[in-house]
Amino acid sequence: MINRNLAKVLSFRYKIIALVLVLLAAGLVLLPKYEKHEGINPKDLLSNAISPERYISTDELADKIVNQDPSFLLIDVRDEKSFKKHALPDAINIPLEKLLDEESEGYLNQDEYDIILYSNDNFYADQAWIICNRLAYKNHRVLKGGVNKWFTTIINPKIPTENMPKVAFDLYSFRKAASMYFGVAYPEQAQATQNTTKKTTKKRVTLKKKKKMAAEGGC
Amino acid sequence: MGPLIPNGFIPEEWNSIVAILIGLAFGFILEASGFSSSRKLAGVFYGYDFVVLKVFFTAAVIAVIGILYLDYLGFIDFNKLYIHPTYIWGAIIGGVIMGIGFVAGGFCPGTSVCAAAIGKIDAMVYIVGILIGVFIFSELFTLFEPIYDGYFLGNLTLMDSLGVSPYWFVFVFTIIALIAFFVVDLIRKRVKKVFY
Repeated sequence: MINRNLAKVLSFRYKIIALVLVLLAAGLVLLPKYEKHEGINPKDLLSNAISPERYISTDELADKIVNQDPSFLLIDVRDEKSFKKHALPDAINIPLEKLLDEESEGYLNQDEYDIILYSNDNFYADQAWIICNRLAYKNHRVLKGGVNKWFTTIINPKIPTENMPKVAFDLYSFRKAASMYFGVAYPEQAQATQNTTKKTTKKRVTLKKKKKMAAEGGC
Repeated sequence: MGPLIPNGFIPEEWNSIVAILIGLAFGFILEASGFSSSRKLAGVFYGYDFVVLKVFFTAAVIAVIGILYLDYLGFIDFNKLYIHPTYIWGAIIGGVIMGIGFVAGGFCPGTSVCAAAIGKIDAMVYIVGILIGVFIFSELFTLFEPIYDGYFLGNLTLMDSLGVSPYWFVFVFTIIALIAFFVVDLIRKRVKKVFY
């Protein structure tokens, strides 16, 4: 038969082990909980935020739209009323407060399109950009200056004065041409244009449900 | 192999080799702790030896506590771990068949291979039985398919289905485990000793 003293020592050891287990499990319960970070870490977020790459100028955007670039998606983060009143062509309205809704995620979190966020200024668009970036959504950019800048540069470009460099004139002629594309009529063109209805191809975003990545493996 | 191979710390080609090494270690420890004895394994059901229950319960408790600590410290993302999908009726029927086989044969599939490796004839017969079972299942698969693929509940964990905090769940689980150990010790003392 087993040595009785040994058995006693062993049983004492079991008690200790059991106590350790309970303490460890209780530790899990008692440890202060903290909110886990989702998406990218703050350091990356900061370096993304201070990068000038995250802005797109109104001229670049106008160029993209005129050339019917299919690779981007315009997201309007203003409220519904301002969106209905005026919006950039083919924009999709996702107000800032609906940014984290489930149906918005299909537009915002995808690899197919570059996403250009805009608001009246770039202020609200920047907020949306920060949130989306924090969630590690890819390819988001902000329209620098927003709709206001769009109006002052593309729709109603300033005529350069004579003492300005050639670049300014080139830019002006580009902006003027762009504004005509967007339906602004100039007196010297008024008789020429017959208000052609412009056709832009609707972009299709396949809204796919986010599925959990099932890791491979088993027992 | 967890985070190491997908993240490229170990080349993909080592996958099978690592699996073989882990398998060897697993088999060795299984044998060394006496799990190749069908009497020891069946002892759980007759109440004279509860090593199986203690080992597996302890393993589960230690693993879940460890994973939760690693998750808490940020080494492992708890939500990205593989969770076995639940096919409820498939699991229940399969579990019953497995249980009956366990009591009747005195081995579970893993330990039977382990015991066959040290030359136990009953284990070899048991493996032949497993193969016959596999054959029958494969031949009649079309018949079983609705059960096999049906009643899918998703990749569930107990914590999800009960809707409790994992930390509290593990704490209660640990207490239950310790109580179970204590109770089975009492049972073992009352049951007639079996020497093997």
